[in-house]
Amino acid sequence: MSRDLGLIIPEIAIVITAVLALVAEMLRRPRLALIATVVGLLAAALLTIPLFGEDTTVFLGTYRIDDLSLWAKVIILPATALSAILFIPEIRGTDREGTVYSLLSFVAAGSVILAGAGDIMFIVLGVLISSLGSFVLVAYPRDDRATEAAMKYFVFGSVTGAMMIFGLTYWFGATGSTLLSELDRLDGRELAGIAGLLGVLIGLGYKASIAPFHFWAPDAYDGGPVAAAAFISIVPKIGAIFGIAQVMRSLPESAVEWPLLIALLAAFSMTFGNLAALVQTNLIRLLAYSSIAQAGYFLLAIVALDRSDLDISALVVFAAAYAAMNLGAFAVVGWAGRDLEGFRGVGRTLAPWHGAAMVIFLLSLVGVPPLGGFVGKLLLFGAAIDAGYTWLAVVGILNTVLSLAVYLRVIVPMYQPADGDAVSGESRSIARTSITVLSVLLTLGIGIGAQVILTTTI
Amino acid sequence: MFPLLTLTVFLPLAGAILLVIASQIGLSPRTSHAIGIIISGLTLISALAVWLRGVDGEFSQIEQVEWIPSLGAGYRLGVDGISLPLVLVTTVLFFASLIFSAEIRERATAYVALFLALETACLGVFLSLDLVLFYVFWEVTLVGMYFIIAGWGHEHRQRAALTFFIYTLLGSLPLLLGILALYLEGDPRTFDMRAIIADPPLSGSIATFAFAALFIAFAIKIPIFPVHTWLPTAHVEAPTAGSVILAGVLLKLGTYGLLRIGLQMTPDAFRDAAPYVAIIAVISALYGAFIALAQSDLKRLVAYTSVNHMGYVALGIAAAAAATSAGDRDFALDGAVLQMVSHGIVTGALFLLVGMVQERTGTREMGEISGLLGRVPRLGWAFILAAFASLGLPGLAHFPAEFQIFLGTFGVWPVAAAIVVIGIVVTAGLYLRAIQAAFLGPSPDGSNDDASGTSRFGDLSFREIGAVGPLLVLTVAIGVYPTMLLDAIHRTIDLLPV
Repeated sequence: MSRDLGLIIPEIAIVITAVLALVAEMLRRPRLALIATVVGLLAAALLTIPLFGEDTTVFLGTYRIDDLSLWAKVIILPATALSAILFIPEIRGTDREGTVYSLLSFVAAGSVILAGAGDIMFIVLGVLISSLGSFVLVAYPRDDRATEAAMKYFVFGSVTGAMMIFGLTYWFGATGSTLLSELDRLDGRELAGIAGLLGVLIGLGYKASIAPFHFWAPDAYDGGPVAAAAFISIVPKIGAIFGIAQVMRSLPESAVEWPLLIALLAAFSMTFGNLAALVQTNLIRLLAYSSIAQAGYFLLAIVALDRSDLDISALVVFAAAYAAMNLGAFAVVGWAGRDLEGFRGVGRTLAPWHGAAMVIFLLSLVGVPPLGGFVGKLLLFGAAIDAGYTWLAVVGILNTVLSLAVYLRVIVPMYQPADGDAVSGESRSIARTSITVLSVLLTLGIGIGAQVILTTTI
Repeated sequence: MFPLLTLTVFLPLAGAILLVIASQIGLSPRTSHAIGIIISGLTLISALAVWLRGVDGEFSQIEQVEWIPSLGAGYRLGVDGISLPLVLVTTVLFFASLIFSAEIRERATAYVALFLALETACLGVFLSLDLVLFYVFWEVTLVGMYFIIAGWGHEHRQRAALTFFIYTLLGSLPLLLGILALYLEGDPRTFDMRAIIADPPLSGSIATFAFAALFIAFAIKIPIFPVHTWLPTAHVEAPTAGSVILAGVLLKLGTYGLLRIGLQMTPDAFRDAAPYVAIIAVISALYGAFIALAQSDLKRLVAYTSVNHMGYVALGIAAAAAATSAGDRDFALDGAVLQMVSHGIVTGALFLLVGMVQERTGTREMGEISGLLGRVPRLGWAFILAAFASLGLPGLAHFPAEFQIFLGTFGVWPVAAAIVVIGIVVTAGLYLRAIQAAFLGPSPDGSNDDASGTSRFGDLSFREIGAVGPLLVLTVAIGVYPTMLLDAIHRTIDLLPV
């Protein structure tokens, strides 16, 4: 038992952080809540580092401590801390400010649990914990738009959650256990296998906003604060994707032909996300559809699980790059406004530095070297080809071309002459600027220093 | 050993970063241009030092550091007889372009910084000995060129820049696919180009597939008919110096890739596909020549002759892939590599001169210009010299290159060689027509001069001579004494397996 507790110190630290933030809010000290959140989450991330190299389970095999779950913590926790900072300009001085920071920690805890799930119950728990907090974050502004968005998000979450639990009962019924490692027993029970798989894909696909389970995403992103969109597009998504990976690793192909299903899902999500993003005029919605497409790219690594040496590396590197570039892109949007028209002339004269940063984030989302997104996609495509899914890699590459059109729709106007009163620039804040700078450094750093991640995952 | 290659590659980037930082405290356009010219001059000297240090047939002066060892990707640079001439021509053209650009006042710092960054990327492509590094530099050239066209081009620049970017990015993705195939089939897996060249990992249908992907990627860049359509728009809209770099350096990336990766890394698949590549190359060369013949815009004309000249290069490389005797192969490849150099120098000079004509007359339409030779004799004679070089006159740069390509091709496919020579006749015709229309003939008696301002109608200025003069000298030098480059080229070509 004490060994188990030693291995989940980071998780414990997250929960303590969340509670501390809540206590600070009760004392009406929101600034203290913010500091507790940032320091606590970064400390939890640091506490993860000594655990690298572990590949074991705790609590009777129900929770996994392995490369995936450890890297999930190292990516998710700093991303959450940075999201908290990104929230500052939008919520400073409002009523209930501190609750946001506390909720961020809770959602991060749920996402981390998903990424380490070794048991069906942890999957359900992770989805529920991370969802509940997310609903509230979206609804935070308490205006009509936000309430409607949160409502939509909530209804979708309830329905998909119910379907997931319904599907998972088949697995439980067929194997007599909630452990993922017992899924071997599904061998030959195709119907039960498919029912459970569909349940998992619906439930986690909703969390990861994989098309066709994405309908809530554009509304929820656009309804709430920009920082909430940044956070929801990164943390719960990475948790859910890693959760899918944990499930699929344990699911025998003899029970269900899951790689093909995931491959189709990946192709659909990439293509749909990019096509839909192509016609958006609201930048948040554009980034929402782009994140749906990026979720599709993630699935390439899951298709390659156990068939390629690059599988886990691809997931981790792309997740890290995705977190950095997406956070940065949302930070710039938070500064420049949601309207695509507002970006006219930003890079040329109005704010060349913000413009240059945005170009780096968007090109990284496309996958242009030497940025982080490139190394991630290189590994993803390599893993898919290695696993025998060359057609999927080709679809991915074609989608990369398509996505270029999406992001150029933002980049091109930035370098056209400004209409005059495009960006006011008064909403500049130190918090956003520092997040932008940090994201640029991380996007570049992950591209050039990918070896740091790969040494532990290959 | 002093890392001269790294210095050569990254010196321009260091200059660009310096400019960006210095721009925070305010820089006059003059200072920016001076810094740009000095940095690109130093880069040229550094490239010459690489040459003087001695280049063997094998990759030499190798500099390597581990980068992502788990993937077998590293920072590896090296130079051989194929890359050396291209490095030299790249540094010369950037130097000349920055001298020519010294009059640009609009956002001069950003302009110079972009050019310098682009120079680093181009040199990086030629000197990389690692496929990941190669791809990184390859992609960065796209971004750099996009911003140069979009920022300082002519009226439809946004659309031209976008076409260029999307087209060439579309082309670089099959390249990624081909690189991944080369990597995944390797044993052990590595991105080290030397290892892959020494033992080409692909065979059978995967090799064919990989070569097809690579060929599409390089064909777009070269560009070969029918995927050349981005080229005329990009050239017409690009600023003059941008055109020089686009034609002189960026197109070479395509033929360099076809030679380095296509020929050296998938030799068997290339041999099987060589006849088809040759047919496309012949069509491309002739198509380029005939379409150029139909142009009335001088810049479009020069742009289309690039399609013609690059078609010869592709033909030479295809002939080398199919050649069964070392003699034919040597002729074809020596010629192809030299042709890349000659085309860079000569076309660079032509684009500069067309830019100068446009600055003076305000138009590039041949029909609206006449009698330039009388009014600006130095500019006129410079254009005539460059045009004669471009049409392949003996004693000038293109002749030894094209001669060897045709000789090598003749040994492999006599019919193809016989057909493609028609291209020479057509280019001769079109250049003579251009010279006759724009440079000979009566000078319009001052009627145009008053409107456009006589002050702009001087002959070549000091700056212009500084930019175009060295290129013309090199045109003659390569034509008269090609051995200075062919020695190094041949040492490498000779080592390739037949």
